[in-house]
Amino acid sequence: MNSHPVSTLFHRRHGPITEDLVLQPGNFGLGQIPARLQPDATTTLVCGFCSTGCGLKAHLREGSAINLTPDPDYPVNLGMACPKGWEALAPLDAPDRATTPLLRDRLTGAFSPVSWETAAERFCGEFRRIRETHGPEAAAFLSTGQIVTEEMALLGALFKFGMGFVHCDSNTRQCMATSATAYKESFGFDAPPFAYSDFEQSDVLVFVGANPCIAHPIMWQRVLRNPRKPQIIVVDPRATETAMAATQHYAIRPRSDLLFLYGIAHLLFANGWIDAGFVEAHTVGADAFRSFLADYTPDRVAEGTGIPRERLLQLARTIGTGGRVSFWWTMGVNQGHESTRTAQALINLALLTGNIGKPGTGANSITGQCNAMGSRLFGNVTSLLGGHEFTHPEHRAKVASILQIDPSLIPSQASRAYDQILEDIDSGKIRALWVIATNSVHSWINHGRLRSILAKLDFLVVQDLYHSTETAQIADLILPAAGWGEKEGTFINSERRIGLVKKVRHAPGQALADFQIFRLLAHAWGCQDLFKAWSSPEAAFQILKRLSQGQPCDFSGIRDYAHLDAAGGIQWPLPEGSPSAPEPERRLFEDGRFFFPDQRARMVFEAPRPEPEPPDADYPFVLLTGRGSSAQWHTLSRTSKSACLRSLAPEHPWIEIHPEDAEHLGISPHAAVCIRSRRGATTAAAFVTNTVQRGQVFLPMHFPGVNQLTFPAFDPYSRQPSYKSCAVSVIPVTPQPGSRGVGETPRG
Amino acid sequence: MSDSTLLEELLREQHTLSAVERFSRVHDRLTDRTGSFTQLLPAAPPIPGQQYAFAVNLDLCTGCKACVTACHSLNGLDPLENWRDTGLLRSLTPDQPYQQTVTTACHHCLDPACLNGCPVQAYEKDASTGVVRHLDDQCIGCQYCVLKCPYDVPKYSEHRGIVRKCDLCSQRLAVGEAPACVQACPSSAITIQLVDRHPPKPGPSEAMLPGAFPSDYTQPTTRYFSERPIPPDALPADAGAHRLESAHFPLVVMLVLTQLAAGMFAFLPFLVSLLSPQALLALASCAFLALHAGLAASVLHLGRPLGAWRFFLGLRTSWMSREILVFGAFSGSTTLTLAAAIAALEPALKLPFPAVFKTLGPHLLLFSSASALLGVLSVGASAMIYIDTRRPAWSAGPTSVRFFGSLLLLGTATTATVLSGLAAAGIAIPAIPAIIAVAMVVRLGLWTWETQRNARLLRDPGHPAHGTARLLRKYYSWSPRLRLLLVLGATTLALASLSAAPKLAAALQALSLLFTLCAQLLDRTLFFTTAAAPRMPGRP
Repeated sequence: MNSHPVSTLFHRRHGPITEDLVLQPGNFGLGQIPARLQPDATTTLVCGFCSTGCGLKAHLREGSAINLTPDPDYPVNLGMACPKGWEALAPLDAPDRATTPLLRDRLTGAFSPVSWETAAERFCGEFRRIRETHGPEAAAFLSTGQIVTEEMALLGALFKFGMGFVHCDSNTRQCMATSATAYKESFGFDAPPFAYSDFEQSDVLVFVGANPCIAHPIMWQRVLRNPRKPQIIVVDPRATETAMAATQHYAIRPRSDLLFLYGIAHLLFANGWIDAGFVEAHTVGADAFRSFLADYTPDRVAEGTGIPRERLLQLARTIGTGGRVSFWWTMGVNQGHESTRTAQALINLALLTGNIGKPGTGANSITGQCNAMGSRLFGNVTSLLGGHEFTHPEHRAKVASILQIDPSLIPSQASRAYDQILEDIDSGKIRALWVIATNSVHSWINHGRLRSILAKLDFLVVQDLYHSTETAQIADLILPAAGWGEKEGTFINSERRIGLVKKVRHAPGQALADFQIFRLLAHAWGCQDLFKAWSSPEAAFQILKRLSQGQPCDFSGIRDYAHLDAAGGIQWPLPEGSPSAPEPERRLFEDGRFFFPDQRARMVFEAPRPEPEPPDADYPFVLLTGRGSSAQWHTLSRTSKSACLRSLAPEHPWIEIHPEDAEHLGISPHAAVCIRSRRGATTAAAFVTNTVQRGQVFLPMHFPGVNQLTFPAFDPYSRQPSYKSCAVSVIPVTPQPGSRGVGETPRG
Repeated sequence: MSDSTLLEELLREQHTLSAVERFSRVHDRLTDRTGSFTQLLPAAPPIPGQQYAFAVNLDLCTGCKACVTACHSLNGLDPLENWRDTGLLRSLTPDQPYQQTVTTACHHCLDPACLNGCPVQAYEKDASTGVVRHLDDQCIGCQYCVLKCPYDVPKYSEHRGIVRKCDLCSQRLAVGEAPACVQACPSSAITIQLVDRHPPKPGPSEAMLPGAFPSDYTQPTTRYFSERPIPPDALPADAGAHRLESAHFPLVVMLVLTQLAAGMFAFLPFLVSLLSPQALLALASCAFLALHAGLAASVLHLGRPLGAWRFFLGLRTSWMSREILVFGAFSGSTTLTLAAAIAALEPALKLPFPAVFKTLGPHLLLFSSASALLGVLSVGASAMIYIDTRRPAWSAGPTSVRFFGSLLLLGTATTATVLSGLAAAGIAIPAIPAIIAVAMVVRLGLWTWETQRNARLLRDPGHPAHGTARLLRKYYSWSPRLRLLLVLGATTLALASLSAAPKLAAALQALSLLFTLCAQLLDRTLFFTTAAAPRMPGRP
């Protein structure tokens, strides 16, 4: 480079602004990074968005994270992350973090900061009064799949055993209840059987109601690493990104999935594409299933699903003769009115073809939230801590002895589900609600009614990172929580891998880790003696280990956090006495033994029921909802805090509509349209695309208007809401001359 | 333990960051995250005649957008700054669903428009790698590259006062590491390849992707490839969703005032023999002030004006440099013209000027003629700045009509106003009605042309500038009425002034000029905000 003074005078190649972007070796395996972002240490923690459970390497300076990169050593993500992972630190710096407890004056509606002592006193005063006046069923909590397992367990134990309440649920009801119920009924335990290496070892991957390209990009990375040139099959009404990348796409009619899967099972039987030996040795109910399927002829199924007979046969043949077949599903299956049976129809396909327990196989539910799996085992909600049953006296005795508490403190009934808790609030049975790290007022199905229901409460507490969520804004008391990265604990990912979250950031102000908030409240309630052993997240982890002992999820062989850290996360099971460096990727059922006393899996099935709200003349469109983009998460309470993530998705709601429907309705591209259901209305900008079918429209779930439209149907077994289908009408909004249309914002 | 001691302990614990002591990893146990991407890079650096280029396998790109965030994090960009963007292609053919995410950054063009447009050579095309680098400390923040680049690559930072852009992670490539986006793509869709620096020039209809600007302008080097053919009707998700562009108010003021001054100077030589020295001095002073106020406004547009003296570096290719040069000469000649006008009046004023100054007086015709010529050239250079961006809204014809129309209109209207003022002061002035008549004809002509053109564009969806007409209708539906009001007002006032007594006539003329100026400021603002910028495919 020429540094002659005259040349420097005319061309300033160096200087303070240039310096800003100069890279230098970052050490710690980071390659070149900006000099001003040079870390003095690094450490790995598991991402706090989705259930993929990627390892993120925090770049630390004086212990505090200044940047992140995906960890190449972590067995899940192999050095990659989706945009949310890359930007995971940004939401922690948001200006609307709750930094002190806030108490609302019911008369003025204004929040004012109060001390933790006042907040705890108020909390306990209200909940105690309600318990004394209305009984132990008169208060509930709604928790989350976003906090660490140790916190979920302490919350569940404190609320039920310490404070003596009965009812609680979690937002995992909205995402994973179906898979949990289906696995329990079919396998005898809530046990997703796979490892991510199964993506790489399949000959045929069947994705039903799943769009991993957008929702789980790092799992899709594993699919692309598959060297076997697999058939990739997508069953989805929309031509999603994943459908575009598939080798076969079946755009079935919305909510015809159960019929479709029974039709495939029918063809498997009809053509002898059955692993009779496996079915004989390891399952119960195949004969009954076979006779049940007699009615599900290709003609009937083709008629009901919109998929021609020959394509049904093509899929059945691919599954029946394709070698190692794996079945994967996500919310398209889980969020349906008969979702448990649909998930079980997939499980049945895997069992019938013997595609379980071998590399590249399995009936595999891809989980949603980072710790939905932890919530399923340790939420103390539907099942007792560690996947035990509240209704079994011996389970209660076992848990009581591990926790060293009186067994009579453990209720003998499971909690009411999310929708039932809201019903009880509506009817006045439940008077106080504690919402932890979830945003019900935005995310709950048909939430138009939710505000008026919650207004009936005597006392609403919201514990969250932000005081700005729709739910926090209507709370009586806001408890400021430390977020992911500001506390310790463990998550369990989709493939049952227990991974570590570390404290790499200071929480703002007085915000406390949820774990510590629970300890503080236990102390204020006066039940702290019950939780003496829960002195830290890691001490709690030792308790969880003991609770898991003897269960299918036994992980008592994990020594401690350092063990997890060194191993890059460890999948359950790992019973005591296992090698301390287990195989990094293990699947279940390699021995064909399931978790029933007879060790056989069950084929569970039931005739499909009509969809709850089919389109009609007034509401002629089926509304589909789902993930909008990889940069958006849930109700946007975190992802909207990152300018970079915001730039990766439209700022305004958009609705995907077929070109012919748009033309018929006089909707031009990008025009504002009004979407109306029997329950509410919202507006969005039209995105005219042939990836949706005629008569269907798609709205991304991240915008608050969407769940004003959805129809409150629930799967009867999992009580999971059916977000994926309801009837709506779509009409163009004629903009006033000169008004700014949705989706067309001025620049600069 | 009391509540408060427990709370103190919990808060203390919350604020102790323990991850380092407990879990910090040691360097030698780690995999180098940059080590495993060699297969995504060329085996050897470019040989003469080659350069680095991005190559994107569309079949592997499934829309995760990690490339954007990785570029952002690994390069330490500002919160609102992205050097990489993603967009979406879709198709409307029923029953043949199609969507394709498109990732895009700087295309490190063979003939970079940013580089060609930069007045101070703040861009260079690296001789050995072909990377188009931006020299951040050299940049004066004129943002002309933002207007020139048809792919929306250079990003202006208000607080830094400069633009920055992708440099293909040159510093990483230099040590054999992959660029941030390449390192971050979970499906290895982005690779770096070597391309020929002298390929056959693309045809006028060739573009990298549907909706991208024709490649013959800058010859971008990024290659998008796919085994699945892109449907012929594929179009960007944001096609038809026009956005307003930045208004650049300093430039609006600069254009209006410099065109006004150029117009006044254009008429001055014709008036030298007709008007008294006082009148000539009044006109020259007024034009001189307008010109320099306009030039001062243009400086406000620069993020870092102190480096603007290097403008001559870009003369070979940049119309911005040429504009600065011509305006410099224009400014010089107007200074001489003003001096000559003062000198011509000097005998009457008896000012203590040096003798040499007094010799200028007789050359007023010469200097004003030079100013007239340089003024017209300056306005031409201004027009070329915009024409050279190849934005459809700024094509040569309409831009010239607007700029030279302004010159004529504002030149005559202001001259008439100044002369009316002098007439009101009792100085005998000939030719005022003729000048007013010219202004009126130009004003009505411009209005008719603009109105008819917009109507025609709106009716013609195939016209390249159709989007501009749609933006006008969408965001400025009130503008035709306001424009009509201003034009009618200015015309009526000017007409009324013709038959009014001198003092009233001057006042009416001044008002008419005010209306005219407002109309021109409005036009120039819309000129910027509705000039839809070409971009790579964007989001819905």
